[in-house]
Amino acid sequence: MPSQHAIAGVPSRWLSASALGLATTLLLAGCAGAADPSARVEEGSGTGTITVWALDGQSAENEAIQKIIDGFEKSNGDIEVDMQFIPADQFTTALQTATDEELPDVVEVDGPLIANFAYLGRIAPLDDWVSKETVANQTEAIKGQNTVDGDLYAVGMMNSGLAMWGNKKLLDAAGVEMPSSAAEAWTADEFSEVLDKLAVLDPDGKPFGLAENNGFSTEYGIYAFAPVLWSAGTPLIKDGRAAGALDSETAIEAVETFTSWRDYTDPDTDGAAFQSGRVALNWMGNWLYPAYKEALGDDLVVGPLPDFGEGAKTGSGTIAWGMGGATKNAAAAGALLDYLMSDEVVQEYTAANGAPPATHSALSGSELYGEGKPLAYLSEQLESACPTEDVLAADCVAVSRPITAGYPVVTAEFGKALAAVWGGADASEALAAAARAIDRDFEDNDDYK
Amino acid sequence: MTLSSIRTGSSRQSRAKRRNRPPGSGAGPLMAAPGLILLTAFLAIPFIGAVVMSFFRIQLGNPRPPRFVGLEQYARLLFDPDISSTFLRSLANNFAFAIVVVPLQTALALGLAILINRKLRGMTVFRTLFFMPLVFPLALVAVIWRLIFARDENGLLNGFLDAISGGAIGPHDWLGDPATALGAIIVMSIWQSVSFQMIILLGALQSVPPELYEAASIDRAGRWSQFIHVTVPGVRNTLIFVTLLTTIFAFRLFDQVYLLDKSASINIEATQTVMFQVITTGYDQNNIGQGSAMAVVFLIIVALIALIQRRLIRQEGGVE
Repeated sequence: MPSQHAIAGVPSRWLSASALGLATTLLLAGCAGAADPSARVEEGSGTGTITVWALDGQSAENEAIQKIIDGFEKSNGDIEVDMQFIPADQFTTALQTATDEELPDVVEVDGPLIANFAYLGRIAPLDDWVSKETVANQTEAIKGQNTVDGDLYAVGMMNSGLAMWGNKKLLDAAGVEMPSSAAEAWTADEFSEVLDKLAVLDPDGKPFGLAENNGFSTEYGIYAFAPVLWSAGTPLIKDGRAAGALDSETAIEAVETFTSWRDYTDPDTDGAAFQSGRVALNWMGNWLYPAYKEALGDDLVVGPLPDFGEGAKTGSGTIAWGMGGATKNAAAAGALLDYLMSDEVVQEYTAANGAPPATHSALSGSELYGEGKPLAYLSEQLESACPTEDVLAADCVAVSRPITAGYPVVTAEFGKALAAVWGGADASEALAAAARAIDRDFEDNDDYK
Repeated sequence: MTLSSIRTGSSRQSRAKRRNRPPGSGAGPLMAAPGLILLTAFLAIPFIGAVVMSFFRIQLGNPRPPRFVGLEQYARLLFDPDISSTFLRSLANNFAFAIVVVPLQTALALGLAILINRKLRGMTVFRTLFFMPLVFPLALVAVIWRLIFARDENGLLNGFLDAISGGAIGPHDWLGDPATALGAIIVMSIWQSVSFQMIILLGALQSVPPELYEAASIDRAGRWSQFIHVTVPGVRNTLIFVTLLTTIFAFRLFDQVYLLDKSASINIEATQTVMFQVITTGYDQNNIGQGSAMAVVFLIIVALIALIQRRLIRQEGGVE
């Protein structure tokens, strides 16, 4: 029964523990459940050692984080930081299975999982521990992602956004002009025509890329393509139910339109379709900007994703910083979080990975994002945040993935359905099955209340 | 008294001694203890744990106590249209995979073993080359095969077919088309692990006495006849072992599907297996109870298959 995957995802002490032991632990842990999400948090002395769990990411990011933490220790002589980098594939399980004693004081969490971790008591609300200035400085888009039931559970240094990236030379050749603001976005029909035009000039008739190599049944599937549904005007989850939203007529139509573009789509197996000039248009997030810029130079143009009827939308949200659900040193943890959100730190960090800063002040000082800057469009769409899917409107753009403790099931089912439809399955059947599976999980867990 | 009778005598003595030892002295259980403890800790307890958990609604790390739901998870597995159809589909894929892979891979492994069992110069190089795929980590293998099966004309397989057919065969979506998705996984799996069976069979081949072949050729037995009457009986037990092992591996199919699913758009409906279902339900969707129920049902099915197989093909010699 245990597979390599299962073992790799579990901290080593679990390896020797039996499954029965796990069940017992769960039973015991169950008694610790409490209504007040901050019940296990203690203020502490504001000094001493705090533990930090960070995601083991790209080396540039790790170095930047390490440098930032060193800087914090220097500026706060009384607080020492015990830093641990945890590989991404083990992070979630490590956080889920940690006992209260093992939970870190400060922890890096992936945006869409914040509601789930909050529900599981793995992270605690921050409002009492970070300064008002820090909270006020957070952009709406990132606050939307980090807020669960009205409580702020995380603060973000950076954000993310999707855009349509264009190769100006190829677009010009076909007489296509890239829209530069969300208001001018191509409608889905117009976009089909654009693809037609580009396909004529494209050697293999596939002028469009959307990083199919990332896989649709991964987290990328929901992040990159939930905007299709949002733009059509439907959330994935409405009033705590997927039925009527994810499987609605609107959603089915939008997904069908989206998959009709498959004939024009380069499978992009090598992940270089856009850089190598094989495609003229590419649906992708901000993180590939450095690679695109290097490959295309001045030929790189950027604009909104297609509008499926209710305005162009983009996914937003990314890794943020939270506080352990049972920290005994909340004051010191809050001090670190404040430090992490200071302009200097945010600028240094986002410069290291090219992400849009998630604080107002750092955004205005950014070299890439902001009016007149190369990625003005991306900061513009993040500024006009909806910011969560239950308040969709035609004139807002950035939307966070569903804020629900049942997110693991939502993302798995949505990705599976999308991959199936993309591969040729019937959209109404696949989406209805996904909606049933999500709703069954919600019902099984008392709607995560 | 000959030497052998002395030996027999002494062994009779020692047997008598053993018989004289009072039962319940504890030596037997003591000797068996390490094995039993490990078996209990790593097989029995986890399995009982899975059975127990399958009666509960459990989420990893959930602050709420697991809720007892009785046989609901099993009922869903059998009757809920969504869950049971996926489960049955996975099971069918497992069987389809095993039915094709077990005979094909065993035969191929035997063929390869015979091929590299010759005394030719540089054979070590060939043996190493044939064994290589097994050494690569599967994650890497999946990346390579993704390039091979890519659905456009840049895919290696499509490019190859295009080249040899002079453009007559258009690009095909090997992993996305339900008709070829499982076949693609089968090809990849056989390529990756056939060398393991090959190495085992090679060992067996080398233990077949060369005199038998000499005798057979004196009797003017042809190549084929030698293969049927000398080689196959000579490696019979190993062949049975390899078949059993391949069957178990075939039902354990998980990594290939999981890795390809995470990295490319593969037709998951046509390729998912029960193990894949167990892991994704349990860990990705955090539904440990349902995953456990699947694992328990699957274990029973696989155990039945193993028992039937043992009945049908008995090994010669050894402990009965």
